[in-house]
Amino acid sequence: MPVRFKKLIVVGLLVVLPLCGVWQIGLGSYIHAKAILAQFLLETAWSETLKGHKEVKPWPWADTWPVCRLTVPRLGISRIVLAGASGSSLAFGPGHLFGSATSGEYGNTVIAGHRDTHFKFLQELKTGDAIQLQTSNGGNIRYRISEIRVIHETETHYLARTDANILTLITCYPFNAISAGGPMRYIVIATPEITNGKMI
Amino acid sequence: MKFQKPGLIMLSTLRCIFAGIITGTLTNCILVLLVMLLSAPAGATAMDDMTAADMNRIEDPSHVRQGTLLFKGEQDFSRAPILRTDVQINVTGMIARATVKQHFRNPDTTWKEGIYVFPLPEDAAVDHLRMHIGQRVIEGRIQERQQARKEYEQARSEGKKASLVEQERPNIFTTSVANIGPHEEIVIEIEYQHVVQYDTGAFRLRFPMVVAPRYIPGQPVTPNEITVDTFDGSGWAVSTDQVRDASRITPPVLHPGQGKINPVNLQVHLDAGFSLQHITSSYHNIDIKQENETGYRLTLGNNTHADRDFELIWTPEPAEQPRAAFFSEHKNGKQYGLIMMLPPEQTSGEVLNREVIFVIDTSGSMSGTSIVQAKAGLELALAKLKPGDRFNIIQFNSYTELLFQIPQPVTHQSLRQAGNYVRNLQAQGGTEMATALQAALNQTTEHAAVRQVIFLTDGSIGNEDELFRIIRQQLGNSRLFTVGIGSAPNSHFMSRAADFGRGTYTYIGKVEEVQEKMQILFNKLQHPVLTDIQLTWGDNLTVEAWPQKIPDLYLGEPLLISLEAASLPETLHISGMVSNSKWNSTMKLQNGKKQTGISVLWARKKIAALMDQLNSRTEQDEVRQMIIDTALAHHLVSKFTSLVVIDVTPARVREEILKSQSMPVNLPAGWEYEKVFGQLPQTATGSELFLIRGMLLLVTGLLFAVFSRKFTRCYACQV
Repeated sequence: MPVRFKKLIVVGLLVVLPLCGVWQIGLGSYIHAKAILAQFLLETAWSETLKGHKEVKPWPWADTWPVCRLTVPRLGISRIVLAGASGSSLAFGPGHLFGSATSGEYGNTVIAGHRDTHFKFLQELKTGDAIQLQTSNGGNIRYRISEIRVIHETETHYLARTDANILTLITCYPFNAISAGGPMRYIVIATPEITNGKMI
Repeated sequence: MKFQKPGLIMLSTLRCIFAGIITGTLTNCILVLLVMLLSAPAGATAMDDMTAADMNRIEDPSHVRQGTLLFKGEQDFSRAPILRTDVQINVTGMIARATVKQHFRNPDTTWKEGIYVFPLPEDAAVDHLRMHIGQRVIEGRIQERQQARKEYEQARSEGKKASLVEQERPNIFTTSVANIGPHEEIVIEIEYQHVVQYDTGAFRLRFPMVVAPRYIPGQPVTPNEITVDTFDGSGWAVSTDQVRDASRITPPVLHPGQGKINPVNLQVHLDAGFSLQHITSSYHNIDIKQENETGYRLTLGNNTHADRDFELIWTPEPAEQPRAAFFSEHKNGKQYGLIMMLPPEQTSGEVLNREVIFVIDTSGSMSGTSIVQAKAGLELALAKLKPGDRFNIIQFNSYTELLFQIPQPVTHQSLRQAGNYVRNLQAQGGTEMATALQAALNQTTEHAAVRQVIFLTDGSIGNEDELFRIIRQQLGNSRLFTVGIGSAPNSHFMSRAADFGRGTYTYIGKVEEVQEKMQILFNKLQHPVLTDIQLTWGDNLTVEAWPQKIPDLYLGEPLLISLEAASLPETLHISGMVSNSKWNSTMKLQNGKKQTGISVLWARKKIAALMDQLNSRTEQDEVRQMIIDTALAHHLVSKFTSLVVIDVTPARVREEILKSQSMPVNLPAGWEYEKVFGQLPQTATGSELFLIRGMLLLVTGLLFAVFSRKFTRCYACQV
């Protein structure tokens, strides 16, 4: 009896442990797969948006839509930014905070993204780097990074409206933390390049 | 046998790895596809839910997404002046006279101006200001607001020590102190007086300690549009078109993680004039010492910080329950009086069918202990509904949402639906109160004889006047009952909204009080009300009595009248209506107790009444002038008059810089900081944790496979 019982546990564990492992790896890679795959789907929606359509949903049941494209030429990075920074839109791309200035509008444009997917590249940015935003009417705004800092999640004044035109990128910090939900944030502030009094 | 072992282990290991990789990849692929597909119906259901909720949701486009301006300014308060407060309150009969000493200490080596926003009871008559510099004491003077500010600012720039006390709301004041030297302490002493509340057999004294963060609705206005004088960088809310002085009523709030500041010492000397059955402090530990037959000395426990209201309740021995009181004062050739009279309890008449609209505040400021209290109160009120009544529930934060499109009859079904709705309420978002108030007042009323709106909120808003206007204009035949929730409710809003709404107000400060306080409210709702109260003074004397329009009186509420006359009238005749029958009473005004400060109370009552007229009458300049005249004559701080004190000798030489700093306040007890001020978005996924956990599990499984082989083999050998 004890022998059979032990055997049962052994066999059980032999099955359960790898299965759980596979399940967890599945969950982990699903997040990445979704993040990468979604950006491809978003490309189509973005080109539709550039053609003049408004709030193009990348898939029929989506509750978000692309609002601008963010590129960093030095790193060869290109990301389609979605409307809203809720958990459901951040899974597919960086999110533009509702209520902050839309790209191209005067004020503080705030974009947040996950530190382990779309905004992982933020750790490679340096002060002085160029960032470009392509707006939905096809225009391009070039920003230069003026400030990079680590802040606490309660310092919400970084989201406040400003008179000056700035771009604020937010992601979680530290970049290599294992679990999510930490209180620190990494923020990158960029100001537009001005030529002949006009933004380029 | 022995040689086969490593081969077998290798084999099983490989098998395991392969199985892991293959199943892993396969599952991943299937999962990705599956979840992509599965998320479709999930998304669709979410949308269905949305539309269901949206049906009863009222959105006013001009309100939505505008007012969420609760961003906080400066973080580093280490160099701002440090505050400590000593409070001494003397209660004689029904009158409380309080001295508040604010100690401003400069921890820095530079010169400072400290700006402190603090609360006082909403009926406080502030009539004295003194500045203590070392051993010297300088008495303040009352001035028109602009003039007082001008004098203060001039003294500030000349390097003289000066202080200014201004009123922002009847229950919010600002103390400014200029030119506090390096490591110096200046003490500002403020004196005020008010009437203690007498209701349902108990006397209540309230001393608020902190101005809770206020929600500021409306569109931001740029500084040059602001007509009210502002101070730089002190408030965290931007002034808006609806609340032009927002930055003056929103002091910066310290994150609770940084500890508590602003310690308070408080002592009450209580002489009620009769022997007491109970004395209790509702929210603080106090030490009670009896000094003589009717006198007590009460001391607040050490280590108290300004983060909630202080409330003291005392009840007389049943035999000594006062039914009437008369206090008088002779001052500057005039007679002043304060009359209190408790109408006899009316037996309840026929039970009328009611329509009850519950309005519950589910904004971010209610998060924490407040929403628990509000839900408990609401659940209790639902249980009190009777068949034949109709009801509805309205919740509001950034949006207003109605449980039912129109009020529903009380049935098992509707009550169950309401119960579920209340249980699932969550507090977050803004406080767009106006839409909810309008919805509550404007719903159909055909079915019920009595219409009651029960409004549960902490009143943490900055646009009181706009809301009062809505109540005045749209009340109709509804009655509004405010229930103030939480540790630091806006008492000005609670009491005035109930006045304009011809109802009453109730406070619930902790969940243990819900049962008792709501029961008092239910009793008031069920008993007939004394309405249309008229006063006739004997001897044809000219008497100026305030309030001029006497509010309706509910069960247990006394009539309170302040009067001024050349000589005191001998009698007062009072008449009113109780459920369609006339009620009369006559009082002989003789042998009243002489007491100082009665004139001040009269002036404060008059100013309060005139301030209401200011919002409704057209000849505003005239009313404004009357307020200023009354305030100046009685040395009172008002919206248009301030107390200012200036030391004549300059202290700071012009070369030294003066830094102006607004002083932080605590977050009220039980509040959740992040729910009020927001927080930056969550920007990390659990992917790495999942991957690492998965790998670990696989490796463990592998090792286990290896060892279990060994184990079963050896076991077999033995057999």
